[in-house]
Amino acid sequence: MRHPNQATLALHAGGDLGPFARWFTSRHLARCESCREEVAAFDEVRQSLPGLAEIPDLPWNRLAAEIKANVRLGLAAGECVRSADPPLRQSAFINRGRALVAFACAIVLVVTGMFLERPAPTAMLVEGPLVQNTQYGIEVKAGGQTLGLTNSGVQRVTYSLDAQGSMGARYVDPETGAVTINTVYVQ
Amino acid sequence: MSDVIEPGLELLERQNRFVSEHFRRIFVQIYHLVQNVADAQDLTQEAFIKALQHQEQLKDGQKAAQWLSRIATNTAIDFLRRSRRATFSELEDAFESDSETPEQILLRSEHREYLEDGLRLLSPRERAALIMRDVEGLPAEEVAQRLNCSKATVRSHIANGRTKFRRYMEKRKR
Repeated sequence: MRHPNQATLALHAGGDLGPFARWFTSRHLARCESCREEVAAFDEVRQSLPGLAEIPDLPWNRLAAEIKANVRLGLAAGECVRSADPPLRQSAFINRGRALVAFACAIVLVVTGMFLERPAPTAMLVEGPLVQNTQYGIEVKAGGQTLGLTNSGVQRVTYSLDAQGSMGARYVDPETGAVTINTVYVQ
Repeated sequence: MSDVIEPGLELLERQNRFVSEHFRRIFVQIYHLVQNVADAQDLTQEAFIKALQHQEQLKDGQKAAQWLSRIATNTAIDFLRRSRRATFSELEDAFESDSETPEQILLRSEHREYLEDGLRLLSPRERAALIMRDVEGLPAEEVAQRLNCSKATVRSHIANGRTKFRRYMEKRKR
């Protein structure tokens, strides 16, 4: 037999279930002793709680007078606090202005950040001779003159470059099969 | 001069009337939740101040009463969340009555303490839902309205509350 869960039984004890669930649970309870005991235990809880409803004997008139006076005081204090606020806060125009200033500041911040974080441009100061590879081979430029070392008719050339400024080209001649290595040093 | 004072007086009069009409109901409602006279008094004042700061909500009498009840409940729940405690220091004085013997007063006080200890095991919202339903006898719809949540949530709070309280009672019996 499938029993209703604790929450269902707890709610049934107080008549808090919907009509269908109530009917279903009642049917189950009619033939299940253990669930009936559960409901009885929940009912006991419900019976004990109204003990908390008791209100002590209080001087209601004095209490009412005190509460009224304190409420008046509280409201007056609230008014004081509100009137002490700068009137600018009420202005929609000023609020919009503040929002605009805040927005502008945010934009400036973002732009500044981007400017500071951008990669530094590589210095392209070319005063001495320059060595570079072209589609024909290695080329050296100096004082307006150019000297080229061509790799004629070769499809696959491997270029290498080192920190001292030298450049090398390696390739295999397709006709002869000879391996050629050219290295150009720039000083 | 009198033209300036008149509206203020009228407002004051209206506020006083509003407090007089509802203060006892609100005090009792809060007292049931916090179970302490001094706290209930402070929280009643707080609830009225919150309500009267929004005069526009008080035009419709019935709606204003419901709104005030909701404010009172929320104020008490906030308090319970903050403090997670309830003191009984004034219980003995407050419940003293000529018709009861000291033994009866003590027994009653002990019974309340026993119930209060059980309530402390509940979350503030479970406690509020259980008290409104089983102590004040409000229908679940009204409890939901006061707690500003769905009826299903209220049912869940009530079921949890009763289950926790039952476990507590069984433990105390052992």
